[in-house]
This record gives sequence, structure tokens and C-alpha cells, in this order.
Amino acid sequence: MGVLLSEEEIPSVLSITQEEDKMKLKKMLVVGAAVFAVAAQAQAAETLEFWTMNLAPKFEPFFKERVAKFNAANKDVEAKWVDMNWDQIQPKLVAAIAAGSPPALVNFNVPWVHEFAAQGNILPVEQYMGAAKNDYLPAALKDVTVKGQVYAFPFYNSVSIIAYNKDIFEKAGVKAAPKSFDELMTIGKQIKDKTGVAAFAPKLSNFTGMFYYAGLPMIEGGKAVFNGPKHVAFVQKFADAYKSGVIPKDAFKIEFEQEIALYNSGKIAMMTTAPQALKRTETDAKAIYGKTGVAAFPVGEGKMAFGAWLMDFVVPKGTKNPAAAAKLGLFLTNDESQVAFSKATETTFPSTKKGNLDPYFQTGANSADPVDQARAVAAKSMDNARTLTIPPGVLPDEAAMTKKLQDEVQNAIEGRKPVKAALDAAVAAWNEKLAK
Amino acid sequence: MKNSNSYTAIAYLFLAPALILMGIFTFWPVAFNTYLAFGNYDLGSGHVTWNNFEHFKYLYKEELFHHALKNSLLYLLIVPVIQISALVVAKLVNNKLPGMTMFRAIYYIPVIAAVSIAAVVWQNVYKYDGILTWFFQMIHVLPEGVDGQIDWIGNPDTALYMVMVFTFWKGIGYYMVLYLAGLQAISPEIEEAAILDGANAWQRFWKITVPLVKPTILLCTLLSTIAAIKSFQEVMVLTKGQADTYTALYYVIDQAFRNYNFGRAAAAGLVVTFFCMILAIIQFRFFGDKN
Repeated sequence: MGVLLSEEEIPSVLSITQEEDKMKLKKMLVVGAAVFAVAAQAQAAETLEFWTMNLAPKFEPFFKERVAKFNAANKDVEAKWVDMNWDQIQPKLVAAIAAGSPPALVNFNVPWVHEFAAQGNILPVEQYMGAAKNDYLPAALKDVTVKGQVYAFPFYNSVSIIAYNKDIFEKAGVKAAPKSFDELMTIGKQIKDKTGVAAFAPKLSNFTGMFYYAGLPMIEGGKAVFNGPKHVAFVQKFADAYKSGVIPKDAFKIEFEQEIALYNSGKIAMMTTAPQALKRTETDAKAIYGKTGVAAFPVGEGKMAFGAWLMDFVVPKGTKNPAAAAKLGLFLTNDESQVAFSKATETTFPSTKKGNLDPYFQTGANSADPVDQARAVAAKSMDNARTLTIPPGVLPDEAAMTKKLQDEVQNAIEGRKPVKAALDAAVAAWNEKLAK
Repeated sequence: MKNSNSYTAIAYLFLAPALILMGIFTFWPVAFNTYLAFGNYDLGSGHVTWNNFEHFKYLYKEELFHHALKNSLLYLLIVPVIQISALVVAKLVNNKLPGMTMFRAIYYIPVIAAVSIAAVVWQNVYKYDGILTWFFQMIHVLPEGVDGQIDWIGNPDTALYMVMVFTFWKGIGYYMVLYLAGLQAISPEIEEAAILDGANAWQRFWKITVPLVKPTILLCTLLSTIAAIKSFQEVMVLTKGQADTYTALYYVIDQAFRNYNFGRAAAAGLVVTFFCMILAIIQFRFFGDKN
């Protein structure tokens, strides 16, 4: 089933605080009251309920405004916003589908789209898109295409950037941020040799994403194939970087939070993560923030930007009025809505072509402020933003297989096992499970 | 005559509140888990279909589960260590000396600390450039500089034992308090008589204290055995199951909430329960009263 979201994948703006808990309770009461009100009222307009994950109460103004606008334009239906925790959304939806009363739209991530599409629990939406289909970025549409059919309306996205410490770069004699993955590694070595500081902390806890980023297939023709010479060479690069101290010793334990902490204390030269991390640097480490430059994360051999995590809206099977649901889906994900939402979050990006060209994103390019710069840089990367995961349902025992892969890759990178032997072991274990 | 029947009825009446709660929160979940373990659970419909022990066959062949089970059983090493230490510490703080209350409180603080918060602290102890490495470098057990830096919870050779140390630190105060209660139930006369008979402290500890707190020892060993087999929280917060610290319960959680395979998770949970039962029986034999 879907890979759990890391903290990074749920933009930090969506985190829940105590204040929000109180609001939640209030909201529950409000929703409860609303449900009764709707039940009591004669069926005047058909209700289109749409669910989002972790967007209340922070983005209440945005959704209120959108809902009001939509309802004013469509008298026969009435959109209703319900927000819930990301881990409740799936079980609740499954229950609602089973009970025959699913909502009109549900906010999903990419792995879930693939999974529910494979189960037949969500509807293809291409037929409702019409010309609007061309408004979305092709990469975003590809993310939510299952067996040639588009299954969701792409919504907001995020993508990794490189934030680098200009002082450390200068000391190491590095002139510019890396343009390719190999350059990232060479620059890293240079930084380590000249300054003694570790260069960066790659996201090693999801190596599947790394392989995708490098354009290396994991499974072909129902067999695991990640022990080929290219895969071995790719992992070897990390092993070498680990050995020479380019990557910190505890790299496998470093997630979003730890990476920010390392960068903010000057222990790594580059932060390779989502732009919202810079917000934290701005508040927690003013001195480092003042020395920060921003560049795009190099597009790998996979021709993909790194670190994307697309959110979208799907139409569940059995929803009463799919056409109206799609209309709402298109409205919530059109250029106007997406730009407004990005302005509200300050750290996410539209998945529409025009959206990313909005002055809001592009004016930052020449700004002195790293956060504004990062916004411009990341918006430019959106064209290549693909969410890097193995579609759910492909792996018969995802938890165990991912675990095996991660363990072996960790052995290889930390130098306990030759890379080839480690990948062979993981491939053998995968194939044993895939053959069943 | 007020026959024994009505007494029994009254007895059950008094037991009812506890039994009802246990029924809802213990017996029913165990029963339902057992039922789930023998079938395929469909998340959509909630139906369970009998699958001819398929989950158990899968687990029988699943190396990762064997490995996880091995780690959980290895975790049992902590039990004697923590019990003996807790008993000794309890004995020490049971003296009527100034400052004893403070010591009791100090030993008990880790028990009250939330696992996740304590883990943040310990991560900094175990970090490759953390306190533990610094300490060993300072006393020249490890070489200075980068070569002497050990990633204590990142290295498979040490990680599980380091997690055990965390468990030890966190649990010792809890068992100490239980032993204290047991010790305070021993009348001082017995101890005095032994002193008159010329028994030294060592003899008094083994011949008097240990036999008299035997019921407490049984309870504590049982509790800590079950806690050891169920080790998951510590692993989750310290290592996320990396570096060969994956435990049986971690496997259960992964199967349930990453694969959504509740049937297989239930079967794995049942296997863990089975091991708990076996160990409990052994301990009752060993520490329990013969009659």
C-alpha cells in the first residue's frame, strides 16, 4: 500500500498544532451541525462534498472563498469542504464507498491514485477534462495516469532545490552550484577535502526514489533488475561519497528535520530538500540564511526533478454525480485556484503550466532573499516534477521488500558489503516474492 | 442458609466491572485477532475469508519475520540484567539514610519521560560524534578523531544492544518501585534475627530478601519479558528498524499499516503472543510457588 509520507512530503505548513486541535474540535462541531442542517433541509441543491488532507484550519480562508465562488456560479449543486487527517482519509473513503455514499472528490497523493485505480475504486476523469487537460503540466498528468487513463486532477506540488552555504563554497573554491548529479558528487568531494565539512545529506531512506531519479528501472517484465552495472555504479557513487565523508556518517537516519538542523549549524554545505526548509533557516539561523545561495536540484538521467510529491483530487467510484464532481475538481485545480493556494502556503507550487509562470513565482529570481529565489527556482523545475515511487500493487509485500532493499543498500553504502553483492541479494529476495 | 451460590453471584458482581473492561479491551481483541489470523481481510467490505493457514505458511518461509523474531528473542537478554539491577537498586534505596527519597525519584524520572522525548536525548548520546563517543575517546578507549567515531545505533553490531541499554535506563525505575513495595513488606525482625545469627549482607540478600520477594520477582520478570518480546517503541524512535534492529512487533506494524495486510499482521501477532505464553509458563514453573 502507499508509502508513508515523510515529514517533508507533507509540507511543514500543514503540520498540526494545539491551536489547530482546538480548531479541529470546533470544526467537528461545525461540520456536525452542518450535517444535521443539511439533513433537515429539503433537498434544494445537490451537495458535492470534497475531502482534503491536513489543510484545515490554516487554509480555511482559501477554501471558503473557493467554495463560495463555485456555489455562486453553480446554483444546482453545493460544494462542501471537509478536511481530515491524511491517515484517516483512506479508511474513511473505503468505508464510504462500501456504504455507497462516497464524497464527490477526495484529495490523494500519487501512490494512492495508482492503487485505487488498480482496484477500480476511483473513476477515470479524462472524459470530463476536455480542453482543460492541456492546462496541466504533462509531468503532473503522467503522475496520475494509470494504464493510459488520467485518474485525477493534479493539484499542488513541491520539488527539491539546493540551498548552499556560500562561505563553505568559497573556502572550497567551488564557483557555482552543481549542474548534474555527477558534478554534485565531485563538488562534494572538493568541499570535504578542502574544508572538512560534509557536503550534503542525500535522502537515502527512500532509495527507490533515487533509482527513479537516475532513470534506472527497478522492475522490468515482472522481475527485479536493479543489480545491473548501471545500478551498481550509481550506488557505488554513494558508497564512495560515504567513505570519504562527503555524506555524514549517520546519513540513513537523516530526514527533513535533521537535514535542516545540520545545515543551520553549518555541518553540511548544501541542503537538498523542499524549499519550505529555507523558511526554517530564516527563522532559526539568521547568519547562515544570510550566506545562503539557491540553485535548482540537477535533473538526473531520469529527466526528472527531484523530490516532487504531487497532490491531486480523485473522483471515487459510486459518487452520485461524477460530471458535477469533475466540474468542481477542474475548478479547484484551475490556474486561478492553484496560484491562490500556492500564495496561501508560500511553499507549494501549481501543477498547471500558466500557474508556474505567474509573477508571484518568477519575480523572486532576481531577489536577494533565498526564500523568494527558491520559489522561482523550484517553479522552473516543475516542468520535470515527477513523483518517484513504484506504483502500489506492483510489489506483493511492499513493507518487506522495501525493507530488504533499504537494508542491503545501507550495507553497501556504509561499506559492510560490496555493492554488487548487496544488490544481488536484494534482487534475489525481490524475485522470490515477485514469482509467487 | 445463605448458600455458596449467592456468595459466588456476589463475587462475580464485584468482579463484573473489571471483567467487562477486560472483555472489551483484552479478550475480545485477542479473539478477533485470532479470527483475523486465519483469513484474508478485505479492507473494503470488512469480510474475512478462510484461507487455509496461508498466512502462517507465508510467515514460516519469510526470512524477514524469522529475523525479526530472532531480534525480539535476543531482546530477552535485557530481562535478567534489568531485574537483578532493579532489585539491587531497590535494596540500596530501601535504607533509612538521608537523601534516599531523592535517589528514588531520580531513578524513577526516566519511567515518566515520554519515549519519544527520551529518544531525542539518547540519539544525541549515540550519535557518531555524540556523548558516548566523546566519553570513550576521553578515556582513550577509542582513538581520537574521525577514526574513533562509532555510529552506535547505525552499526548493526552494536545497534540492538544500544537500544537495550535505552530500555534498561527507562525501565529500571519502574521495577525498582515494585521491588521496593515487596521489600517493605518484609518485617525487619527477620533481617535482625539473621544479623544475630551472624549472616553477612551477601547471605542475607540471597537467603532472605530474594526468597521473600519471590512473588514480586515473578511479576516483574513476567512484565519485563513481555515488554522485551513486544519491543517496538524504542526501536521505532531510535533506529526505525534500521541496522538489524527490526523486531517482531515492528514486522506486525509494517504488515498492518504499510501493506494493509491485516490478516498476515494478525498471524504474526499471534506468533508473538504464542512466544509470550510459552515464556510465561516457564517463568511460573520457575518462580511460582510449587503448591
